[in-house]
This record gives sequence, C-alpha cells and structure tokens, in this order.
Amino acid sequence: MKARLLHLSRQLVSWSALLPMALTVLVAYLGTVLWSLKVSLTNSRTFPSDEYVGLAQYERLFNNDRWLLSLENLALYGVLFIAICMLLGFLLAVFIDQKVMAEGALRTVFLYPYAMSFVATGLVWQWMLNPGNGIQQALRQLGWQDFTFDWIIDQDMVMYTIVIATVWQASGLVMAMLLAGLRGIDEEIWKAARIDGIPTWRVYVSIVLPMLAPSVATVFVLLFTAVIKLFDSVVSMTQGGPGTASEVPAKFIMDHLFGRANIALASAGSMVLLLTVLALVAPFLYARSRARRREERG
Amino acid sequence: MKLKLLTLALFMGLGALAHAAGPKAEVIHWWTSGGESAAVKQFSQAYTTAGGVWVDTAIALGEQARSVAINRIIGGNPPTAAQFNTSKQFLDIVEQGMLNNVDEIALRDGWDKFLPETVLNVVRVKGHFYAAPVNIHMPTWIWYSKSAFKKAGITAEPKSMDEMFAALDKLKAAGLIPLAHGGQPWQENIVFTAMLANVGGTELYLKVMRDRDPAAIQGDAFRKVLTSYKRLQSYVDKGAPGRNWNDATALLITGKAGMQIMGDWAKGEFALANQAPGKDYGCIAGFGARSPYVIQGDVFVFPKTSDAEAIKAQKLLASVMLSPAVQVEFSNKKGSIPVRTDVDSSRLDICAQQGLTIMKDKSRQLGNGEVYLNPDQNGSLSDILTAYWNKNVPVEKVQKDILAALKR
Amino acid sequence: MSAAPGRPRQARAPGGVRLTPARIGIYAFLLTAALFFLLPLYIMLVTSFKTMDEIRLGNIFALPLSVTLEPWMIAWSQACTGVNCNGIRGGFWNSVLIVIPSTVLPILLGALNGYALSFWKPRGSQALFAILMIGAFIPVQVMMYPLVRILASVGLFSSLPGIVTVHIIFSMPVMTLLFRNYYLSIPQELFKAARIDGGGFWRIFAQLMLPMSTPMIIVAAIMQVTGVWNDYILGLVFAGRDNLPMTVQLNNVINTTTGERLYNVNMAATILTSMVPLAIYFFSGRWFVRGIAAGAVKG
Repeated sequence: MKARLLHLSRQLVSWSALLPMALTVLVAYLGTVLWSLKVSLTNSRTFPSDEYVGLAQYERLFNNDRWLLSLENLALYGVLFIAICMLLGFLLAVFIDQKVMAEGALRTVFLYPYAMSFVATGLVWQWMLNPGNGIQQALRQLGWQDFTFDWIIDQDMVMYTIVIATVWQASGLVMAMLLAGLRGIDEEIWKAARIDGIPTWRVYVSIVLPMLAPSVATVFVLLFTAVIKLFDSVVSMTQGGPGTASEVPAKFIMDHLFGRANIALASAGSMVLLLTVLALVAPFLYARSRARRREERG
Repeated sequence: MKLKLLTLALFMGLGALAHAAGPKAEVIHWWTSGGESAAVKQFSQAYTTAGGVWVDTAIALGEQARSVAINRIIGGNPPTAAQFNTSKQFLDIVEQGMLNNVDEIALRDGWDKFLPETVLNVVRVKGHFYAAPVNIHMPTWIWYSKSAFKKAGITAEPKSMDEMFAALDKLKAAGLIPLAHGGQPWQENIVFTAMLANVGGTELYLKVMRDRDPAAIQGDAFRKVLTSYKRLQSYVDKGAPGRNWNDATALLITGKAGMQIMGDWAKGEFALANQAPGKDYGCIAGFGARSPYVIQGDVFVFPKTSDAEAIKAQKLLASVMLSPAVQVEFSNKKGSIPVRTDVDSSRLDICAQQGLTIMKDKSRQLGNGEVYLNPDQNGSLSDILTAYWNKNVPVEKVQKDILAALKR
Repeated sequence: MSAAPGRPRQARAPGGVRLTPARIGIYAFLLTAALFFLLPLYIMLVTSFKTMDEIRLGNIFALPLSVTLEPWMIAWSQACTGVNCNGIRGGFWNSVLIVIPSTVLPILLGALNGYALSFWKPRGSQALFAILMIGAFIPVQVMMYPLVRILASVGLFSSLPGIVTVHIIFSMPVMTLLFRNYYLSIPQELFKAARIDGGGFWRIFAQLMLPMSTPMIIVAAIMQVTGVWNDYILGLVFAGRDNLPMTVQLNNVINTTTGERLYNVNMAATILTSMVPLAIYFFSGRWFVRGIAAGAVKG
C-alpha cells in the first residue's frame, strides 16, 4: 500500500513538472490542430465561419495545380536538402576536428549564414544566380564564353537553387552539432583503433558514426522540420517562380491565409501537410517503441 | 486674492496640458521606404497641426500590415486606423461588424460630390462609409527611356498597341531589352490589366472583371487580349523571373531597356536617380483618346471602438486626410494622384496632371482587378496569368480556367 | 587522416605536421567550402559600401568604385521605417528585453521536460512528447489566429509577457528534444545512485542533472538566441507596439511594396542586425568546444 502511494506521489511530482509542457501541447498545439480541422471543413474567408461544406476545400485543394506541384517540390527538396546538409555538415565537422589551423575562424565562417536574416541573404542568392549579372555573367566575362548557370529562371531546375541557398544557411549548424558530438568521443577509441591497424576512414564509418547516432537523430529532426516549414527562402529568392515552379506547401498555405483571405483552404492545406508528416513519421515511431518495449522486457 | 489667482493659474495650466494632448491616433500602414515616409509625413504633420497626436506603427508589405491589423482587432488591441487597399479586402471585417463608420465626416464634407464613382462604390458599403480613401494609383502606366528610344531610332511616342509592338521590335533590333519586366505574379497581373484596358477596351474590361460574363470571357475579343499579353513575353529578357520591379525600372534608368509597364510609383525610382519626366523618361497613360484610367488606391479603415477619444481621433483623421491641400501634398510625394476630382493640380508633375485629367472623366474610370474581385478570385486569376506567361498553355484553356476561377 | 602510421594523435601540432596528400586534401576541402560560404558575405559587404548609382549598373562582384560609409550610417540611425526615420537602432533594446527571458525560460523548461521524460518517464508522457514533436512541424502562421484568441482571453496579447509566452510555446519541441536526447545518453546508474542517496525529483534536477548539462545548454542557447533575435512574425503580432523587436525595423527598411529599395542600406542593416548572434557564436565558441570535450556528450 505504502509503495503504491509512493509510486503515485512520484508520478504526481513528475507530472507537476511537466505541467507547462502538457498545457502547451493540449492548448496550443492540439487545440490549434483541432481548430484547423474544423475550419478546413467550412467555407471561412478572413474569419472562421460556421458554414460547413464537408470536404469541398480538400477537393479544391487536390484539383489545384499549384498545390500538387508544391507537394512534389517539397519531396524533391526535402530529400536533397537533408542529405546534402548531413553530408556536408558531417564532412566539415570531421575535417575541422583534424586539429587544423584557424579552427575558430573556420567555425565562424561556416556558422555565420545561420545568423543572418534570409530576407537579405535570399536576395543576394537571387542576384548571384541571375544569368544576367550573376555567376554566369561573371564567368563569361572571365573567358568561359559558353558557361551557363541559369537554373533560377528554369522552371525545371529552380528548386535546386533553393537547395543550394538553404544548404548554405543550415550546414553550419549541422556542423556545430556534429562537432560537439565528435569532440565528446574518447581519445581512447582512436588509440585503440590505431593499435588495431584500422584505416581512419573505416573508424569513422563503423565506429564513430554509430556513436554519433543521438546527435545525428536530433539534427535529422531539426532539418526535417525546416523542410516542412520552408517559406522564407522561397519568398525572398524566387517568390515561388518562375511562374509557380518553385511553389512549396507552406507558401501556398500562407498566401491563402492572408493574401487570398481564404483560411478554410489554407487550413485544409495544413491538415494535409500534417497528415503527410504523420504518415512519414508514424512507422518509424512504431518501430522504435516496439524495439524499446522489447528491450525493457528482455 | 493671491490664492484665487494662483488657483486660476493652476487650472488654466492644467487645462492647457489637457488640450496639449489632443486625440491620439495609432495608425497602421505599410509606407516604409524613404519616399513613402515623406508622403505619410504629410498626413501626420497635418494631423498634428489640427491638434491630434499621431502614433506611427509602420509595418512593411501590405499583406503583413493588413494581417497584423486584423490580428490586433481580434486580439482586442485595435489601432485607431489601419491601411487597406481600395478593394474588397475589408469587406469581411465590415461584415463582422468590426469597423466604425465615418458617415458624419463623409456627409459633412460631401464626399459623394468629389470622389470618383469607382472609389465611392468601394468605400460606401450598404449605405455607410467604412473607409477613408486617400489616393489613386494607376498600375498600368507605360514608361519609356528617352535615351533607349533614341538609340533604337524611335522618334515618336507609340500611340496605339500596334505602334507599341513596332517600337518593341525596333528596340530588340537595336540590341536593347525591349520590355523591362520583373517576373513576379503581381507584375504579370499588371501587364495583363494593361492589355485588357488598352486592347480590350473599357466595355470588355467591365464585362470580364466586374460582371464576369461567361460569353465575354470565352469570346474572341478577350482571346485577342490574352494573346497580346502572351506576345509581350517574347520581348522580355531572360533574367526577368523573380526580379523586383525596381530592378526593372533600373534597366530603363541606365538605358539598357526601352519600356516598362508599371504603376505611377515608378516615378519615385526615377526621381531617386535624378531623372525627370518629359526629359529623361516618358509616361503613357494609355492608347487612344478614350483610354481608361485604371484606379487602384489606398484607404484607411477605423476599427470599432466606443472610446470617445478614439472616435474623435478617427473623425479628425478622416477629415484631415481628405482635405484638398493635404491631398495634393501627399500625392505629390507619393507619386499618386489625389482622390478628389476638385483639386488644383498645378503642383503635380506632368504625368500626374495627365492622369488627373483622364480620371476626372467619369466614362474613363475603371477599377483595378481587386476593386471587382475578392482576394481569392484575384489570386486565382493571378495564378492562371502567371502560368500562361511562363508556359505554353493553349489560350482556350486559359479562357476556361479564368472562367472557372472567377465564378467562385 | 594521420600523418604516418604509428604516430600518436596528440603529438601532432598544427605547425609541425608533414604535408601529406591527405593533409593537403583536408585544407583544400575546407578552403573551398569556406569560399562557397563567404561568397554571399562578400557581395553583401561590397554592396553595402557602394552608391545606388553603382549598384544599378548591376555588377554585383565588382569592388566599389567609390567607397561610401553612408549606407551604414543611414541603416543605423537615419533609414526610414515609416513616419519616423531613425534607422534600426530603435528596436535594439526591445530585442534584448525579449531575447533574455525567451532564452532562459525555454532552456530551463526544455531541460526540465527532458529530465522528466528520460529519467522519470511518468505514464503517458511519451505520448505527450510525441504530440509535442508533431507540433514542431506546424508552420507558425497556422497557429496565429488561435493563439491570438487564447492570449487575448488571458490578457497577455500585445505585451512583453505575451511574446515571451509565445516564444516558449514555439521553442518547446526543439528544446525538449535537445535535452531529452542528451539525458538519454547519460547512464541510468548515475540517476539510480542519486535516488538511493535519497534525492527527490527537484533535488536531483537542480544539483546533479542541470550542472551536468552545460554543453547542451550552450548549444541550446546558441540556437535559441539566434532564433529569437531573428524572429520577425511573432514579435510583430504578439509583442505590442512598444516592444517591437529590431527585426521589425529591419524589415521596414528592407521591404516595401511600391517604394524605392536602397540595396546598400539593406545590406548594411542586415549585417548590423546579425552582429549580436554572430558575437554569441564567436564568444561561446570557446566554451562550446572546451565544455563539450570536458563534459562529454557521450555518443
């Protein structure tokens, strides 16, 4: 009996500490999702209305070329962005960890893009990638007459320019977090590996990388959220263009929330986006919880 | 006796203090650049002179400013006045009963006597005046660089659409960029509006935009408008997508491009580079003696409040902003034309004077798309136009899509 | 990338290393990467020292023909942001007042949440955490309207406590994730030993776990300071007119619908605004690395 009471009181104490989190989740996050769901089933314009129209907004959504293209773009962008950021961040972290000169300066060079507002840096990227007076023009003037780099005005290639600019902005943070992880690895591991005669690259791949797993996991989640919320970069670099070629879901939702005064369609869009995320994440979470339960049992 | 005098002096002092703080008005607007700041200062200074206290809350970008205004109204902390466009943007908040009307000032000052009908129909909703219009911009002016024209051997200003295409061809032959353009949806919307006004004419314009008549939208005349619009795309340089409108105007300023279709706010960029209308650049309002004047503009709405001081402030704002002298000074700095048809235009530049003359003619007044379409319809139309501009879509499909978009 | 097989890792000093192909490779990669990263900054700096006439000519890589410091002075104290033309400096202290509580509180809460989630695991907390993480994917603007109504109903809308609350709400997922993953890598034996010694929930947190979290606190601080300092939309809507952060002035300087754009001033203003996060990176870099190496973020 006493043990039961003790157990309960311990649960209560933990829960009291988690109260802010519980409040935030239930009121702010869950509340918003439910509200969005409700609005997406109405024909609200600037303000929420109570006129229900069933799934009409979802129908309109999936008949909309811009929305469908935005989903395609996000998928392509997401894969490339996460992969390149992870790879580049990892390489930068590993190379900087090699006791190079001017490490502090190099670290700042790779991190500073993260500190700058993308409103201005996005414009700079737009200028650089513009065929008229950007990199293409500069290299042509230097002698490479046939050099072409006009992806930003090419409807099929424009998403790649967004990848380049956002990788530039985010890799530094990935590098910082992985560097923190690397620096925490015991020197003994290196010594042991050298005694065993394992080539350095093998050490990184088979020993270090698994040890970095938690940092990598955190970084992956951060990058994934950045992908889903991709908005500022597209607006300041291409405004969704040329035409609607670089449209992304967050921008579609934003445009309809404010500019088009159609919060019902915007809510339908955010519901679909959220469901997509859930669909991608759920199997992974399920596998993790099953593995953990197996661990706890055995 | 001394005590009485002292008490009297104290009360007068307090009275003076109370008067010194006149009706306080917090105004949300999106005029943040140097030129715009000089313009809105005309309002704030006039308001202060009239005894009020202007509290400025400037927020860049119209969409952002409007959404903050709406959020603050919902959150219970509304500004005294908020800027919107002469459009259907504020109809929803009128419907929700979130605005005060300014009928008292409108009736007292006789707004229905000097406001152009197009503007009147926007600010007067269900018989009440819910917005104070402060200026008229025209988005479809055609600007041309005199030096570029000289280089291409164009001696006279084009007087018709055909002459304009001929001029564009000459500019192309001379190795210049014929049409300076920024590839952003709203800019493509402007080019389309210019074509609808100049190639389609006033009647077709109203049939399509105001009446949304299916026969007109699917007809041959509208098809001609669309193909002229698409034809202009071939005169635009490769670097156009995403370009800011200022960078396109810069091409005219540096003589690299010949023409640009843009609103009268472009005069600000020219002025910054010390170029003068008539000397370094020219302005064409439209082709033909009956060319329409497309009306776009800014208004201020007054969020609902029962605070007596705030209501006083709202009324004072409405009357100050529409007074003749202030109207001229504001438009002078802003590049627009006054919203009053009864002001002295001698202080405005030659392009603005030309504009005001045309605007006064009731039969030539047209509203911009947002005057007739709600934001959602206008946005859908923009999407279709941008897609047509950038891709090879058969024009019949474009007509069908526009019909579907405007039907909503 | 060792110099020669058999040589111990610590004996390699930067200066006295043999230039093997591997070593050259490292430097080549780092320098190339540095060039890629620095190119936009070069353009920003160069643009900020040019006159608008020069910028209009369109040669973005060219060095300024006539260097001018005016854009910087205008950006700081004279640029127009509405009726007032006082540059971006006005919002500086507002930003500071917002950043400090919006960094300290989320970090504390994140650490607390992570601690409770990884060591105590009360029933139902994992589900709550999962929902919290899903919340991290919702774009800010979608939550705007409901949050405005909620904050208005408790009287926090348009106030400093209001904007701090909003920052706490939006940063909770990431902060909790950071600390939870960090604490998961700390051996449970430590925790069990503390419990046996008679420590309760709060004692163990304050006296054992929090002091051990220094490296993660630094990482979290870097992320949070950057995020809050550069935040625009939340400060704009929730902070109230008298507490508007510097980013609002920055945006007013840079963005305009139909006004003229002074690109040189915009670049100068952006660089000025980013000075605070940059300074934080620069100075915390020392602790960041040293702390990590000593405190061990165990893999």
